[in-house]
Amino acid sequence: MSLLQVTDLTVSFGRRRAVAVDSVSFELGQGQRLGIIGESGSGKTVTALALMGLLPETAHVTGSIRLAGRELVGLPEASLAGLRGDVLSMVFQEPMTALDPTMRVGRQVAEVLLLHTADRGGSARARVIDMLGRVGLADAERVADSFPHQLSGGQRQRCLLAMALINSPDLVICDEPTTALDVTVQARVLRLLDEVLTAEGAACLFISHDLAVVSQVCTDVLVMLEGRIVEAGPVARLFSAPEHPYTRGLVATARIDEVPPGERLPTVEDFYPREGAR
Amino acid sequence: MSGDAVYEVTDLLRTFGRGGHVRALDGVSLQVERGQRLGIVGESGSGKSTLIRLMAALDRPSSGSVRFEGREIAGLHERDLGFLRASVQLVFQDPRSSLNPRMTVGSIVTEPLRSRRVRRSLDDVDRGQRLREVLDAVDLPPDAAGRYPHEFSGGQRQRIAIARALAPDPEVLIADEPVSALDVSVRAQVLNLLADLVEARGLTLIFVSHDLAVVRHLCDSVVVMRAGRIEEQGSTEQVFNHPRADYTTSLLAAIPRIRVADVGDGS
Repeated sequence: MSLLQVTDLTVSFGRRRAVAVDSVSFELGQGQRLGIIGESGSGKTVTALALMGLLPETAHVTGSIRLAGRELVGLPEASLAGLRGDVLSMVFQEPMTALDPTMRVGRQVAEVLLLHTADRGGSARARVIDMLGRVGLADAERVADSFPHQLSGGQRQRCLLAMALINSPDLVICDEPTTALDVTVQARVLRLLDEVLTAEGAACLFISHDLAVVSQVCTDVLVMLEGRIVEAGPVARLFSAPEHPYTRGLVATARIDEVPPGERLPTVEDFYPREGAR
Repeated sequence: MSGDAVYEVTDLLRTFGRGGHVRALDGVSLQVERGQRLGIVGESGSGKSTLIRLMAALDRPSSGSVRFEGREIAGLHERDLGFLRASVQLVFQDPRSSLNPRMTVGSIVTEPLRSRRVRRSLDDVDRGQRLREVLDAVDLPPDAAGRYPHEFSGGQRQRIAIARALAPDPEVLIADEPVSALDVSVRAQVLNLLADLVEARGLTLIFVSHDLAVVRHLCDSVVVMRAGRIEEQGSTEQVFNHPRADYTTSLLAAIPRIRVADVGDGS
């Protein structure tokens, strides 16, 4: 049985029911890594927020999201809160806004732990330090006692990763987790993500507009466009032989290193012309 | 000293903090020739933005010299910088914050023409004519002039910022991460546009980016910066194919590439 089964998920907003996600269905097995690619406004993040139950109240959700056999759509907030950070967790793009600037990082990581365990004893700090060490922070003690602004972008993103992983969740949703980072830091964080996901056996839903990054982390990928899935398949097949013209365009634009310098870069419109797009 | 240097930067130092203990730029020297397309790469904190801020005279160096077309601009008073303001224009990373949301596109684009400092050389320019011309150059419809930035997509807003930079007919275009905030699907279009404009107008381009693949595509020479110093500089061909500095090698190795053959090996 698959860990996550999404069926006909549709999300619309406001009184006019503007559709952001349109009958999306996909499955994710235990420990599997699925990438979602697409441009902004394609519905990637709304899909992720729907899974996390973090959509605003103006959102209208229909369809089904089953996580380990349990239906999440329509679940009361209290039950969702029990799952978030425990069974499923999320790593956001911008660590500076995802962390509380007034609170030491160690306490923020400990908070996630204490919310979901009965353990009130003194072992929380030890576990936090251990987790910070496992996400590759060499100086875990010092990092735990630092405020977010005292850390670098890469260190902050690792702290978020530690928060997302400390309760050994079944599913980690990463929304553009390395977009705000430098290339060398990004390479390090991706390698680390790969290692800790393997070590924890967690499944991952990885949202990114960077095809190269997705190809390094994921085994399978969904391509979203205007709220729908236009193509899905294993990374190896989809990136080497994309079928949908939009996917072909995305793959072509991502292969900038194959274009001789000075020549015109291929654009998505070359493959998939759209009305009014520029 | 070679013939046609637009910029000569010598031993530039810029420190911040109490007692100047943070050296954002530490002894940077470089030259930009007319028509050159120079890429400045490096990670955040490497000093690349500080460097171009000094080259655009948006900030003053702690010591060292910046000469633009033979004239020293470091430490010059704003009222004496008119010549630089008309000749050097900038395009910033995020068009959502670099365009005033309460101004129409038309007044944003013509603002450099109305500036009192820049105006002297541009008094006789027909602003309406110029507006139509630059909007056309960046592939925006003429009716864009009466609309506001929020009515445009990210890629279009960056075109507006580029149109504004072109309005005073500059010689040098400094672009600071101009496509980093844009969606993948429009990045290539904006890069193609920049390449075409630089070519057609014979602009000197200074292109700051952390994206080495983009720099390789667009620029003919590269400066690699790290911790306020230049690690390596040379032609794009040399720096990318035969990097001399270990740091450049590690930067190049970190460029994410599409991996399809060895997926899932976790290495």
